[in-house]
Amino acid sequence: MNQSNDTTIKITYGKNHQARYIAHLDTIDIICKALRRLKLPYIVSQGCHIRPKITFGSPLPLGHASRCEQFIISLARPVDPDWLKNNLGDCLPAGMDVIKVEQPAPDETKGANGDLVTYLLGFSELETATRAMEFLNNPETSFSQLSKGKVKNYKIGNACQSIKCFEHLSPVLIEAEFVQGQAGLPSVSKIITALADSLAKKRDNLVKIERISLIKL
Amino acid sequence: MNKITDKITHWEWLKIAKPARYMGGEVNQTEIKTNPQLRVCLIFPDLYELGMSNLAIKIFYEILNNQPEIMAERAFSPWVDLETLLRKKGLPLFSLETATPLNVFDALFISLPYEMTFTNVVNLLDLSNIPIRWKERNSGPLIIAGGPSAANPLPVSTIMDAVLIGDGEEAIVEICQKLLQGKSSGSTISETRKSLKSIEGMWVPQFPDKVKRRIFTDFSKSTPPEKLLIPNVQTVHNRAPLEIFRGCVNGCRFCNAGFYYRPKRERNVDCLAQSARRMLENTGEESLGLLSLSTSDYSQLPDLVSKLEENKIYPEQKISIPSMRMNENTIKLLKNHKGALTFAPEAGSQRLRNIICKNVTEKDIFDVIEATRDINYRTLKLYFMMGLPFESQDDLDAIVELVKKIEYISKKMKPRKQISISLSGFIPKPFTPFQWCKQASMDELKNKRITVNQGLRNTRARLSWRDEYLCMLEAVLSRGDESVSELIIAAHKAGCRFDGWNELFNRAGWEKAFKELNFEPEHFSQQFSLEKMLPWDFIDFQVPRSFLESEYQKAAEIAGESIS
Repeated sequence: MNQSNDTTIKITYGKNHQARYIAHLDTIDIICKALRRLKLPYIVSQGCHIRPKITFGSPLPLGHASRCEQFIISLARPVDPDWLKNNLGDCLPAGMDVIKVEQPAPDETKGANGDLVTYLLGFSELETATRAMEFLNNPETSFSQLSKGKVKNYKIGNACQSIKCFEHLSPVLIEAEFVQGQAGLPSVSKIITALADSLAKKRDNLVKIERISLIKL
Repeated sequence: MNKITDKITHWEWLKIAKPARYMGGEVNQTEIKTNPQLRVCLIFPDLYELGMSNLAIKIFYEILNNQPEIMAERAFSPWVDLETLLRKKGLPLFSLETATPLNVFDALFISLPYEMTFTNVVNLLDLSNIPIRWKERNSGPLIIAGGPSAANPLPVSTIMDAVLIGDGEEAIVEICQKLLQGKSSGSTISETRKSLKSIEGMWVPQFPDKVKRRIFTDFSKSTPPEKLLIPNVQTVHNRAPLEIFRGCVNGCRFCNAGFYYRPKRERNVDCLAQSARRMLENTGEESLGLLSLSTSDYSQLPDLVSKLEENKIYPEQKISIPSMRMNENTIKLLKNHKGALTFAPEAGSQRLRNIICKNVTEKDIFDVIEATRDINYRTLKLYFMMGLPFESQDDLDAIVELVKKIEYISKKMKPRKQISISLSGFIPKPFTPFQWCKQASMDELKNKRITVNQGLRNTRARLSWRDEYLCMLEAVLSRGDESVSELIIAAHKAGCRFDGWNELFNRAGWEKAFKELNFEPEHFSQQFSLEKMLPWDFIDFQVPRSFLESEYQKAAEIAGESIS
């Protein structure tokens, strides 16, 4: 196949409401079907099992909302980004929407050394938000979780890079920036699960978990 | 609207495996109608992954939601984790589209594809706070079942308000019309049940009478469902299903489906090609499944396949043919084959294949395997049955011999093929020529399985088998009479559900139920007399009993035995 006119396009999409519970691999499957329905001129991989050439971002943990999920697709010819934005959304299930369609930066698809991820955490009461601030803000915070049948111990360390609280909002919001994908650091998914565990019965006061930005390092 | 799903917290959902199974919102889901005149729920009594692959659910979902006054939603069996949570919180089971409790609907249409889902049906009703027996229900939704496992409706007769015997495409609309009439005239539940009796194919346990199997005669002219739901969780069959014909002409004497779906009705090639196009455009599915009981028997299969290949919509589009017979059509298709090859010779010897009317010869089998010499597939899966009527020790030995010969041929092929053998016990199903036959006991089946297993000891073939207890249980559930209903209810009470799932099968629960009701399973696995009426003989199956008898007679003649 002549790929001289190949072009790539980056699509940013959101997952909210019930779509938060669609797993990463199922999301990929749904997006591939949506791209086929649009008859997009995507390039396919070579080999036995041909697939559209798509690069997806870091998996979103199950149950987390997001407004910064991304994938980059290789196309045989350019398509109108506005047309794609308007039509792709109609091919996605309830709770998924297309936020932005744009040209990727030249080095966008290169290998990354971890991610800088920003989350918004919403709390129905200030007291729980304050406990969460203390949990996340302390590099000495440690927790254990089951991983592949074994109990593993983790320490937050410098995984949480910055954190601020918007007390006047309802729900009370915490904006926290995490580094993940680096040796020795627990993933955001593990940290938030540990936070919820630490809140015990108050965990239902954690009413919003949303990834709002993801930058590859 | 008060949604049940909102009463489960985020953290509770995260403890549930694959929560997206229960949330709906899939692409192509029906629009939520405000105040429809009739609200029904289509139920598949197993997990979402299986139910969303079921063709009947797709057909009825499209037919019913195309009626402006009807809204049809879906519900599936919850896995044990969600069931435990619902019971703990005192919440009822709910539909996917609007998370409405099932007891609020006007009717529940339950598909019964296999007998091992019967306890799940009881569980669904129990979880929805709906009384399990029709006699206990004076209000609430009508519970109506259909599907191949309801061919003999007696085992579910205490539970269901009505059972549809046969094809449902036309009948389901007629049922809804009766329900609408009943609603507008303020009929009692008993009056509504009675009104359903006038629909061809409907059997109403409160007013038991003769019933004629419903046949959808316009199948050939009908359009398959084209705007299919796109599941939010990977299903067992990840493909767009195109039913190319219904029925089967092979007449295998053990096969329930072969008789249930008679007569053979083919859809036209051009119409199928157009439907396939629309289906793929609406779903974006990578694979198009050509469905039927025996796809290689479609009279214009090569023409259809070449039309579909010529009009590919996207580059990675594939055609999957899940049900192939070893014949010439199959060989022509195999040149493009990629996945595992699966065939069901059912018996090892030509004598027994003739007895069961499985029209496959050893040469057919070898021809197909030879034809796949240069094809890059790795697994060859073969299905066999044990305990078939008139089976001898030589027939069992013939399974071993046949597998050895196949292995010898496939040794020379590259890549080397893994031969996988699946053994299952014969179950005498109602409305087949072998409906009178005795089922081999569990011990006999076990010994037969051990014989085959030992015979294959020095081969590389992988052997799997169906548990003998499950075979016995399936015979009880398919050949049973009214008393089996109470057995199913007792088994559910003893903790049985998901009986088709090895990890959840509760043999102790079934044994407790048998004991509690003083129930002899052997009563339903014994030889039935040709002189006597069978429990299900009140059904006009549109395949005369005399024909089934003559087929049984032919089988006996081949075996050199008498059936009188």
